[in-house]
Amino acid sequence: MNDIYDEKMEILVCCGTGCLANNSYRVYERFKEILGEESEVAVKPLIKATGCNGLCEKGPVVKILPKEIAYFKVLPDDVDDIVEKTVLKGEIVDRLLYFDVNERKRIVSHKDASFYKHQHKIALRNIGEIDPLCIGDYLKRDGYRALAKALFEMTPDQVIGEVERSGLRGRGGAGFPTGRKWNICSTYESFPKYVVCNGDEGDPGAFMDRSIMEGDPHTVIEGMIICGYAIGSNRGFLYIRDEYDLALKNMQAAIDNAREFGYLGSNILESSFEFDLEIVRGGGAFVCGESSALMASIEGNIGEPRAKYIRSVEKGLWDKPTVLNNVETWANIPPIIINGAEWFNKIGIEGNSGTKVFSLVGKVKNTGLVEVPMGTKLNELVYQIGGGIIRDRPFKAVQTGGPSGGCIPKEYMDISLDFESLDKIGSMMGSGGVIVMDDTTCMVEVARYYMEFLSEESCGKCTTCREGINTMLKILENITIGEGQLDDIDLLLQLGETIKEASLCALGKTAPNPVLTTIRYFRHEYLEHIKEKRCSAGVCKDLTTYYIDSELCTGCGLCSRRCPVAAIDGKLKEPHIIDRDICTKCGNCFTVCPRNAVKVGGANYEC
Amino acid sequence: MNVKIDGKYYSGNKGETLLELARRNEIEIPSLCYKEGFEGLGRCRLCLVEVIEGNSTKTVSSCVYPIRDGIEVLTNTKNIVNMRKDIIFLLLLRTPNNGYIRKLAEEYGVKAPSRYLDMEREEDCILCGLCVKACEKLGTNAISLVNRGITKKVSTPYDDASKDCIGCGACAEVCPTNAISLVEQDGKRIIWNKTFDLISCTRCGKCYSTEEVLHHIDEQLGVKTQEYLCESCSRRLVGEKFKEAFQNLI
Ligand SMILES: Cc1cc2nc3c(=O)[nH]c(=O)nc-3n(C[C@H](O)[C@H](O)[C@H](O)COP(=O)(O)O)c2cc1C
Ligand code: SF4
Repeated sequence: MNDIYDEKMEILVCCGTGCLANNSYRVYERFKEILGEESEVAVKPLIKATGCNGLCEKGPVVKILPKEIAYFKVLPDDVDDIVEKTVLKGEIVDRLLYFDVNERKRIVSHKDASFYKHQHKIALRNIGEIDPLCIGDYLKRDGYRALAKALFEMTPDQVIGEVERSGLRGRGGAGFPTGRKWNICSTYESFPKYVVCNGDEGDPGAFMDRSIMEGDPHTVIEGMIICGYAIGSNRGFLYIRDEYDLALKNMQAAIDNAREFGYLGSNILESSFEFDLEIVRGGGAFVCGESSALMASIEGNIGEPRAKYIRSVEKGLWDKPTVLNNVETWANIPPIIINGAEWFNKIGIEGNSGTKVFSLVGKVKNTGLVEVPMGTKLNELVYQIGGGIIRDRPFKAVQTGGPSGGCIPKEYMDISLDFESLDKIGSMMGSGGVIVMDDTTCMVEVARYYMEFLSEESCGKCTTCREGINTMLKILENITIGEGQLDDIDLLLQLGETIKEASLCALGKTAPNPVLTTIRYFRHEYLEHIKEKRCSAGVCKDLTTYYIDSELCTGCGLCSRRCPVAAIDGKLKEPHIIDRDICTKCGNCFTVCPRNAVKVGGANYEC
Repeated sequence: MNVKIDGKYYSGNKGETLLELARRNEIEIPSLCYKEGFEGLGRCRLCLVEVIEGNSTKTVSSCVYPIRDGIEVLTNTKNIVNMRKDIIFLLLLRTPNNGYIRKLAEEYGVKAPSRYLDMEREEDCILCGLCVKACEKLGTNAISLVNRGITKKVSTPYDDASKDCIGCGACAEVCPTNAISLVEQDGKRIIWNKTFDLISCTRCGKCYSTEEVLHHIDEQLGVKTQEYLCESCSRRLVGEKFKEAFQNLI
């Protein structure tokens, strides 16, 4: 027998939503089928359904412990190979290994890949390492130890003090100090009090909260119980986005399990402390993630924000003192209680301690969830972890913070990822979404796209947000079809400032960011659209024509083969020509030309 | 509680909002979605003011801002006036043909360049929500704000004639922009796609209310009214009774 069996072998098949969508459950079943009950393999590998591993587009991911061998893009048909080679003989299946674009080689253990190497996992510490449906797995990794410590070794004030000193700030976007929130809430002598978890995650590009709820539900539960103990609350709610089927399922299973094991309910761990949790399905709107709208929605009212001159720590759910925190915030609580505030404070930078999970997407080579210390530089995120821009095209911008975040240009690539630095340049931390854009992105179109999203997602309560965003959208639409005028830019700026200042909730107060930052950093693109009627990224089709530079064209013919409407003509090895009457401006030729001979002209380009 | 507004001190009551305090002292702050006796709605945003507390200044909507001792309030700074103009500009784009909003725009010197104005738009509702609040206060809850974003509107369930609507017309009465159509002819009242028979006053014979309204009042009061009187007749009746009682007394 191979020494691989000396230690108990475990096969972890990622069954997060991303991997499931790629058929990972079939992979899991195939392993079970081959190695299952009747298997003749002496030591049976443990197969677990684990939560998200982060590298989503490379899933399904299969990890084999204790050797930490990681296979990517595993198909059900690959399972036989893995069992035969790796499980039985201890050999590596090369073709399934991860190809590190930075190091330009295949890597056996995912932990050596640059994507993982630069990460520091606290909130995601258990994701992909445990079976979310098995409380035993969680317990093995210090699960519910923080709760026991809080209940038996600390007073509620000490728990609050620890969280305050850790410097933890809310990960849901606003960055409010979590300990201070708990502290203020604890001072109100009005009962019952409530603890709420914000699992609404309305930003279409972010999925860290979903991954935590799917992959490590107990850590959220544990964090919430600890808060209940600290502020004197016996009841909590998890508000989870309605479409998150797996998160809802795993969270509910974990609650039931925790109750069974005595971590929820009355007399928790025989301590006489009582706390219980219940799931509320989200109202299905982006704005329902806003704290006051969320509470209105839990109460059964329409999800409209209210003015927060009286804060929810004083009058929240049903006008009772309420602590609301984001999923990721909750996931940080148990490690802080176990390891102490000083430990947490050493990670990250002053004023921004700990880590933040980002969802890195767009035109980067490696996409997925990334947890790094606060204060990590943006270019480390994009280049070291993300592996740089796909096809090594020129970088243009990064959009951070979700739909109402800002666009950051090249000049700020060394910016520190923390709440204040991002705010200062007109963007924000927000949900932790990071979208990388290359030179094929049109910044006016980006701004228009976000205004469209927000005009639909504004709750419509205030004039400035509802009418203002819609008016900005119309102006931007005009610009992208070549009907913009120069004073449109001034009007956008003016309305943007008013919407920010005069709107009621943070949706309206941040909504103009995509427009304001693109005007601030990419004004030349606006001018190009308005004055020259040209979109140099080739995105705004009304302002785009493609032509071939005959000096550069070698006549390889690739473009004409890729043109879906046969608009490109030319003899092999001779310069080709695009027939503008046939061309539908799909841009295929532009992307495939190996010599960059396909050029983008404006609406009025005459060649 | 002492509050300084535009340089002068005023004494406020606990729980009072800034707009209530201002109105009580006849300080002009414009608003569209506020009505005395209703709680502030914070929708139209026109009542914005600047509040200085310690060394921080912030913009708040005065209709929902609970006053605090020692704050200083500025109701007419350049910044505030400019924002109000933008708000009126946005409302003008929404309801370009509404008389009330056009007048407001004129008052504030707000002009919308024609290339942004769509004069074909027939919208009159500015979504202030007062009608919904009034209906809610009557206990009828026949109309509500539905949808979100730019598609938000006031409507009866599924835009059908609402079974809860009693045709009282309170919604139309509170509407600042006259956006709710209430038509009365041939002894009938039509509102929110529903037609009501009008009841005439038993004394003067003038049509004055719907049967549903009178039922609703009876139900709320737990009594059965014998005589249906219009407002002026019932006022007259009270006067007569008073006179009678007075004469009996002497
Ligand atoms: C439009 C809007 C959407 C929001 N969506 C979310 C969300 O999906 N999840 C979340 O945790 N916070 C969201 N927030 C932030 C919450 O209002 C609130 O600040 C947060 O949940 C508090 O938790 P924290 O202090 O742990 O961050 C949203 C805010 C706004 C204005
Ligand atoms: S700012 Fe926008 S989302 Fe927030 S309350 Fe106002 S209309 Fe609703």
